Amino acid sequence: MKTPDRKKLILSIISQTIKIYPVIFILIAFVVIFSSLYPERFLTSLNFSSILRQFVTLILFSVGPSIVVVTGSLDLSYVGIWMLGGILVWVLTPIIGIFSILVIPLLGLATGFLIGIIHAKAKMPSFILTLSLLVIYSGLTATIAGGIPRIVKGYDFITADFIPGIPTAFLWAIPIIIAAIYIVKRTRIGIYLYSIGSNEEGARLAGINVDKYKIMAFTISGLFSGIGSVIIFKNQGGSVPIMLNLNTVVYPLVAIVLGGTLLVGGSGGPHRTILGALTFTVIIRGLTISFLDPTMIQLIVGLLLIASIVVGSRGVKGVMVT
Amino acid sequence: MKRSEKIMVRRPLPSEWLRKNISTVGPVVAAIVIIGIFQVINPVFLKYQGIITLVYAMSYFLIAACGLTFVIMMGSFDFSVVSILKLSALICVLYIDRLGLLVIPLALVVSVGFGFINGILFAKLKVPSFMATLGVSIVVEGIALYLSKGFLHMLTDKTFKSLTVTFIAGLPSILYWAIGICIICTLIAIITPFGRRIYAIGGNPIGAVLSGINLDRYRIYVFMLGSFLAGLAGVLYMSQLGGGSVELGADMTIPLFASVVAGGTALSGGVGGPHKTLLGVIIITWIQAGMLMLGYGREIQMVVFGAIAIIMGIATIDRRGIKFVK
Repeated sequence: MKTPDRKKLILSIISQTIKIYPVIFILIAFVVIFSSLYPERFLTSLNFSSILRQFVTLILFSVGPSIVVVTGSLDLSYVGIWMLGGILVWVLTPIIGIFSILVIPLLGLATGFLIGIIHAKAKMPSFILTLSLLVIYSGLTATIAGGIPRIVKGYDFITADFIPGIPTAFLWAIPIIIAAIYIVKRTRIGIYLYSIGSNEEGARLAGINVDKYKIMAFTISGLFSGIGSVIIFKNQGGSVPIMLNLNTVVYPLVAIVLGGTLLVGGSGGPHRTILGALTFTVIIRGLTISFLDPTMIQLIVGLLLIASIVVGSRGVKGVMVT
Repeated sequence: MKRSEKIMVRRPLPSEWLRKNISTVGPVVAAIVIIGIFQVINPVFLKYQGIITLVYAMSYFLIAACGLTFVIMMGSFDFSVVSILKLSALICVLYIDRLGLLVIPLALVVSVGFGFINGILFAKLKVPSFMATLGVSIVVEGIALYLSKGFLHMLTDKTFKSLTVTFIAGLPSILYWAIGICIICTLIAIITPFGRRIYAIGGNPIGAVLSGINLDRYRIYVFMLGSFLAGLAGVLYMSQLGGGSVELGADMTIPLFASVVAGGTALSGGVGGPHKTLLGVIIITWIQAGMLMLGYGREIQMVVFGAIAIIMGIATIDRRGIKFVK
């Protein structure tokens, strides 16, 4: 009698997990597809390590914004923080030395606070606000850099090899992800953010200072993007990009949506984004090493974004989308 | 009795009038000030050659901005305007040898089709308009990249070129296209029931539904209209430019958006219109051309346009009606 019960229990746990994280299914499916199609190229240690490398970049950019998406807003400023922060480090390193790397987290903190204030007090929609700010930052970066991509030297210790085979950036990412999940899941701030996301008016009536917690969400997001940028910065070889690439803005969004965080807010969070980022990295890697026309990849990414948003927002009732 | 009558017919004080009409007066004053400043710095501006340059820079931009205005009037946002403009322009240059002038309807139909997809995603599937159009714009960019293979394509067809670069009364014909389309858009917005309903949806969507407006259908129509105008702008832009690659129109989203809000169309929806966007486009084009003449490149222009977008976005939003914003 005991075995069927246990079997049932295991089955129900599996079905529950799939219900909550349907993306696991997609992940397994894509891994199976790619490994059966290109076993000699997909199942190599080199590919594994480059998947980890890309995964780190993606997760560090998307962990902060996914905290903001919990409240139903959007934060697109991460690439701006990375670019402007990088060029500020390049400017400051000859002047104040090694500590100038701290300018990136500080910039992230300040940017997040600024976005939060403008969004909460002036009631400007967050996506267009952060998009405008992103364009301003990229313009400033290109102006300061003088139109040439600059390379910053002297910060190699951040991503120096620690455990062979595993990128050090990945090790750095682990505490950051855990901190983000802790904030969202185990603190009062996190609970308030979820309640703001699911029903802002209700949260206000329940006595939550909505503006304060929205500002806090953007500030935390900016700080995470800033800390993440320090690691990405070295992960990318220390170069500061001067051209704004739409793909770098969109990929973290795809990761967030693919992970199952609803754009209308109130559900999901950084813990889901991990799976989303992993799945998206596997898909991108698989497409890159396939025989597909490289120009098709962008098309597929767009379709993936649309499909995951549509699937993610199914059954959302009573929400007025604009 | 007499006194109250006197109060009733009292003309409003200038300050009251100004406060009431600030959204109309502001852009006019700003446009005059900006034109004046650049005129003083560089007197070549309002000479014939300067005006021709400005007309070329402004006209296609105005058509695309009119389309975006309709969407923003409704309280939504369309990210895909620039990519649809690009795709429509590339379709023209890629297939004109095979199809002749039939490429124009083809490009417009493709544009309207993507507008329809935008509308369906937004209205029926309840995806926030920004994300829906962002996804569609990635797909459209992908198609544009796939079709053009990243090469530069040159236009050879003389008839197609003459659509916009023929000079009528000393000015290129694209100006007349742009002005005509802007007037038609203004008439649509102000006179027709369709336009009034767009204002109603922008001002209060729930109220619009309760008063019997088919919300979903109008949302789809407006996105199709926006994409149609973007596609038309693309066709005319290609005809004016005479060739292009997938890099065409890069970084135009923020200037477009800035020109719409600088004219006085609020992000919150329900106010503004294409006639106001005309002023916004004049402001933005003048700043662009003026800064270029003073030797400031595209990067610093992006900073300026981003700042204008944020400042004007904050200034135009009507905060009385909205309880919260995402």
